[in-house]
Amino acid sequence: MTKDIREDIAWAKINKDVLKSLEAPRKLYWVIIFIALAMIGVAVGCEIYQYQTGMGVSYKNNSHVWGLYIATFIFWIGMSHSGTLLSAILHLMHADWRKPIYRFAEAMTTFSLMTAGLFVLVHLGRVWMFYYALPYPSERWIWPNFQSPLLWDAMAIFTYLSSSVIFLYVGMIPDLAICRDNIHAGWRKKLYTLLALGWEGTDRQWRSFRITYLTVACFLIPLAVSVHSIVASDFAMSQQPGWHITSFPPYFVAGALYSGCAAIITLFIILRYVFKFEEYMTLPILKKTARLTFAISMVWTYLNLIEFASVWYGHDQASKDVLIYKATGHYAPFWWGMMFCGSIVPLTLAFKRFQTNIPVLFVVSILLNVGMWLERWMIVAPTFANGYYPWTWDHDQWPSFVQWGIVFGSFGWFALLFMVFCKVFPSVSMYEVKEMVYHRSQASKKNGLATKGAH
Amino acid sequence: MSVTNLLENWSQFRHKHPVGDQPHEEYKWAMSIDLDACTGCNACSVACYAENNLPVVGKEKYSHGFAHHWIRVERYWDADGRDFPDQGAQFLPMMCQQCEAAPCETVCPVGATNHTADGLNSQVYNRCIGSRYCEANCPYKVRYFNWYDYPTTDNVWPEPMNQQLNPDVTVRGKGVMEKCTFCVQRLTAAKSNARTEGRTVRDGEVQTACQQACPTNAISFGNLVDPEAMVGKQWMQQQVQLDKDKQAKDAEEAASKLRGYRILEELRAYPSVMYLERVRESAI
Amino acid sequence: MIDNFDRRDFLKVLGWGGAAVALSGCGNTSVEDGREIVTSYSEPAEYVIPSIGVYFNSTCAQCDAGCSIMGRVREGRVLKLEGNPDSSINRGKTCGLGQAGVQAHYNPDRIREPLLRSGDKGEAITWDKALELINSKLAGVKGEEVAFLTGGTSGHINVLLKNYLAALGSSNHYAYDAVSPSVVRAANKKAYGVEMPRLRLDKAKVVLSFGADFLGAWVSPVHFSQQYAQFRKGTRPEGRGVLVQVESKMTLTGANADRWLAIRPGTEGILALGLIHALGAAGMKIPGGIAQDYSLERVSKDTGISAEQITKLAALLKERTPSLVIAGSAAEGYAHGTQNAAAIALLNQVLGNVGKTVQFPAVVPFPQVLPTVGNRYALQALNDEMAQGKVKVLFNYGANPVYSAPAAMKLKENLGKVPFKVAFAHYMDETALQADLVLPLDSALEDWATSVPEYMAEEAQINIQQPLMEKLYPGTRGMGDILLALLKQRRADEYKGYEDFYSYLHSAVLQNKVALGGTGKDDDAFWTATLSKGLLKLPCDAGKISDKITPTAIALPAPFAADDAYPLQLIPAVSASLRDGRHANLPWLQESPDPLTTIVWDSWVEIHPKTAARLGIVEGDIVEVTAKNGSIKAQAYLFPGIHPDAVSVPLGNGHEAMGRYAKGVGVNVFNILDAVFDKGTGELAMHETRVKVSKTGKRVVIVKDEGSAGGQQMGRKIAARVTSDKVDLSGEV
Repeated sequence: MTKDIREDIAWAKINKDVLKSLEAPRKLYWVIIFIALAMIGVAVGCEIYQYQTGMGVSYKNNSHVWGLYIATFIFWIGMSHSGTLLSAILHLMHADWRKPIYRFAEAMTTFSLMTAGLFVLVHLGRVWMFYYALPYPSERWIWPNFQSPLLWDAMAIFTYLSSSVIFLYVGMIPDLAICRDNIHAGWRKKLYTLLALGWEGTDRQWRSFRITYLTVACFLIPLAVSVHSIVASDFAMSQQPGWHITSFPPYFVAGALYSGCAAIITLFIILRYVFKFEEYMTLPILKKTARLTFAISMVWTYLNLIEFASVWYGHDQASKDVLIYKATGHYAPFWWGMMFCGSIVPLTLAFKRFQTNIPVLFVVSILLNVGMWLERWMIVAPTFANGYYPWTWDHDQWPSFVQWGIVFGSFGWFALLFMVFCKVFPSVSMYEVKEMVYHRSQASKKNGLATKGAH
Repeated sequence: MSVTNLLENWSQFRHKHPVGDQPHEEYKWAMSIDLDACTGCNACSVACYAENNLPVVGKEKYSHGFAHHWIRVERYWDADGRDFPDQGAQFLPMMCQQCEAAPCETVCPVGATNHTADGLNSQVYNRCIGSRYCEANCPYKVRYFNWYDYPTTDNVWPEPMNQQLNPDVTVRGKGVMEKCTFCVQRLTAAKSNARTEGRTVRDGEVQTACQQACPTNAISFGNLVDPEAMVGKQWMQQQVQLDKDKQAKDAEEAASKLRGYRILEELRAYPSVMYLERVRESAI
Repeated sequence: MIDNFDRRDFLKVLGWGGAAVALSGCGNTSVEDGREIVTSYSEPAEYVIPSIGVYFNSTCAQCDAGCSIMGRVREGRVLKLEGNPDSSINRGKTCGLGQAGVQAHYNPDRIREPLLRSGDKGEAITWDKALELINSKLAGVKGEEVAFLTGGTSGHINVLLKNYLAALGSSNHYAYDAVSPSVVRAANKKAYGVEMPRLRLDKAKVVLSFGADFLGAWVSPVHFSQQYAQFRKGTRPEGRGVLVQVESKMTLTGANADRWLAIRPGTEGILALGLIHALGAAGMKIPGGIAQDYSLERVSKDTGISAEQITKLAALLKERTPSLVIAGSAAEGYAHGTQNAAAIALLNQVLGNVGKTVQFPAVVPFPQVLPTVGNRYALQALNDEMAQGKVKVLFNYGANPVYSAPAAMKLKENLGKVPFKVAFAHYMDETALQADLVLPLDSALEDWATSVPEYMAEEAQINIQQPLMEKLYPGTRGMGDILLALLKQRRADEYKGYEDFYSYLHSAVLQNKVALGGTGKDDDAFWTATLSKGLLKLPCDAGKISDKITPTAIALPAPFAADDAYPLQLIPAVSASLRDGRHANLPWLQESPDPLTTIVWDSWVEIHPKTAARLGIVEGDIVEVTAKNGSIKAQAYLFPGIHPDAVSVPLGNGHEAMGRYAKGVGVNVFNILDAVFDKGTGELAMHETRVKVSKTGKRVVIVKDEGSAGGQQMGRKIAARVTSDKVDLSGEV
């Protein structure tokens, strides 16, 4: 097996290579930024129109009260699980190969949460009253409804967002110090100086840092699991056929990790190309990520089948009807599309030669994400179209351009945040890569000695 | 405003659940609808538009499913594949069932929909932020969202049509959920009148708009706590109990001789509307 | 309800300023010109409590059934109409149409001032000028050249109208009603001696209705709905009644039947005679060899109803008496409509129902105020007169023939031959658009009137219609006031004692105080009580209905032969809310789904799924319905409740005028009706139009309330049904 990283990279080179990504951007960078801004423009336009005219312009209706906003909200929440998986879980498991890529994965977590949060607001009929959902003390003693999964959701997401920001920041402190020390005077230097919190790399600082980082990582894992379980509860705690399913929380968590991994592959490839990180984001790492994705895809497929089985063997005819409707009704192309993208496409990843084939992986990862987005839509929409009450069944409602526009624009918003982050902060963890190189060189020295000794 | 305070209030709220542990004191508003009398004429629905300031949304918006009929008359056909529906159609007036354990109430993030002490499922327009979770979780899909701003941008009530608006009922703006209230404005007026006279509301003293219009008296409405109330007698006679999700009579042989039932009762929402099955002559 | 209040005070508080108007005789005062009496809330009359609604009684003018209503008035605005429990017609109940009365009143498209029209433009003029114009146009015109076209009229408006025509020397009052049951009236007159006998659904064990939509749009739907509720009660001594409906297109009543029988269009009379034959076969004594030729096989073949079903029905009718047989619009809509109706009446007689469930009606003992019921023949007669140029001045009140006359009558063209046309109208409808002078009327909630419904239940009554609030527009006037003003032009002496229509009504009622049951009562008290009640109940002697069997020679034609060019029968359906189209501008009614198809805001073509499959039509296809006299294009709705040889299009939509809510909605099926007339009465036979249906290639999504499940319950227990042998109704509350 080829190495995850060359052991002979000089530390100075690491600094130089990574810090290069913070220098004046290439043309391609600006193109991406421009496209992202244009996409956001579309979404903002749609939102202004919707805000002024009313939610009706999105073509949801009294049967389909929720639409793409909620589906895409879950999608982005799911996306956020990548960072936690790579940083926290793999960190605790001492998987060394995560080191060059966890930083951007964490950034993804933060930004996809920020995108998801916007969807909650966009979805509200009276967004200007959103603060009613916050448990702030008021003189009238009016509290939000603590029974509502939607409120749990708001709280879980807020906690998760703040924790993941802390996690991202804490993990970045040594790198910020490097930036501070290597950059010319200017606003950035001031920023890094401030954020680096006087990091000098003393033993004591390292010790404290390690403990803090580990603690936050431990804290983050249950949070990540809970946040998507709670999103699942939005559905599972309701009474609607197709939603009221006990296995939803693990199913959602698996789906989240799945889409997160797929997104990491996509962004991995993009960053590797845009910032020329071939040295660090190596094919062996990509291969490991692909394998992980494959494993999770099979878990997801399994949970999916479990869900069908539990519906099929249950006694609730309405739920069965929804399932049959999904497979045979108006949403069938999308539902089968989800099955294809989610369960068939990842089979490509089982083949070794595709695990390092960048074009194939890129296409596959995009398809996986499309599949996961469809999954969320197929959870939300068919239950509304074909629920308990046949009179209000509505198989014809189709989201308007407003919904599509805002969904489309959210990708631009995410891309913008991400690209700005990559320009301002080191998107590859320098100190951890150094660590990795160090470990590698130690290991190879050992190996070399051993080999020599044999001769 | 401490957390203890909050939790105390909260647990009090939780105990107010009217099914089981806390029976109704003065009032429990309930309805019964005789489907054998209902002719599907829609008078109830138009009366509701008149009483409750429901907006007429127009054809284009109706086509997208934005209609605001708090009470809608559904029409079902037999699904037996015969050439003609030779036993007629089946009509069903459907409105908010004012469930005792309403699925909409638990999910509202801001507590905009609540259970009142009278057993009504209330909707507080001012509090609603429009998450629409309530409608998503409503098994009957009887909640209606203000997808547009009907009073202003849509000009649903052009001058002088706006003079018809009932001052006792809020005209809802965009972004809030609404639904049948059992004409709570009438109930409130009747209750305060009765309180002034030191009594409770008598049966027949207050009617909902749909009930008042109904040309065949298919709708009865009243206070289930009141032993004199027609509606309570009907529930009793049909052996339909409010706080059961399976009626004892259904297990018995004699069940088929009675025709009271509640829709989707097995979902344990404990709806406050009892329907009486439509009867069809067997001799013809 | 408040019994003791002073009507005048009430109006003063509302700011109607009745006295001021009465004194000035013309011209309307307003707050602006300082002559209005405005009473402050700091000292309101005792019956006015700010923020509390007070109910005042009046009469619904939405259709001719004459239901008594009470309007909820708050802060001077009428908000909602409820039924008046005192009336034996509607007993406190209302229909959707009645509820929408407030929208007719507050309609933004009402005409607000007199308009003198020249070409396409209208010029606002004063009432003085308008009335003077009428006077001058009448000069030099012979009495017989003046015609007055109205809908059904009754009460004191009817009296004034007749007097006015008499003053002009004219006898040309044409009462036109596009959808009235006039053939059945004539047949009833022949069979029972009365046009509209009292029908006792509440006493009948079986009701057999030949296309009478008495729950929807026929005669007095709210009253019949009340009766129907009684009829369906299992606790009634007679037990729960059985409704059998025979018709080619399912009406609302048909949808509520225990058994709905799809009959081949036009063969209703054959079935009625076939039932008589079957009753005879079952052992009932049938006098004089009636219906001998109507053997089971023949009738079954002609009508398309199975022999088994006919036998079953005959057995039911024989076993459960009394029953009630009703002939409705579907049976009378043919060239042999009179014969159909006669056959159906004969069935009633044979069954011995006459006198039991068909009774002598309540009659108001004042012939002057009795209703002049509308029919379609009147319009044909007027049309002929106009075509020959015999009409020089035409008044039109409450009729919209330009909309509702078949194109084959060329009515619009003939109207052009009338030199001066005056329309008294609420809205600029199609007929008002053709008028030279348009005079805006007060709404029914602003105007005074009395009315006598054609169909009355146990008691005779004169209904009072009175203002529930101040006029919305100073430029409108009540019909009574206009007629009075016109009469004063002719017979000033006779009418000078009446300041306005109010005072005319006042004195008319008080002059007949004794006959009206006010013996010994103080004038003012009696008047106040009358207004407070909103109706006058009259003692009336029960007449006797003729229960002799009158086996007149009934000649029923064979069913239609197949016609390749026009293979389908067109059934124009009268909907409960839109009726003949006069209410198409009320948004509540447009948005109230049709009970059977749940379609809103449009017209549609009902077509049986089998026929549709044969023609390759699916739901939402825009189809062209072509008759000999034109064609319409509308969306197809696959409807199981229609005979495969027929298609049905609802009446009421397809207006080219009448304001924002009516204009351009749907299609007008009146237009394409064939000019075929009933041989007995000369009435336009509404169901005699043969059509062909073809696809246009366009398709739309039908706007309706019914969801994607298409009215199926999908195995859930939603609208449940039980057969009568499985349920015990006797113990019900």
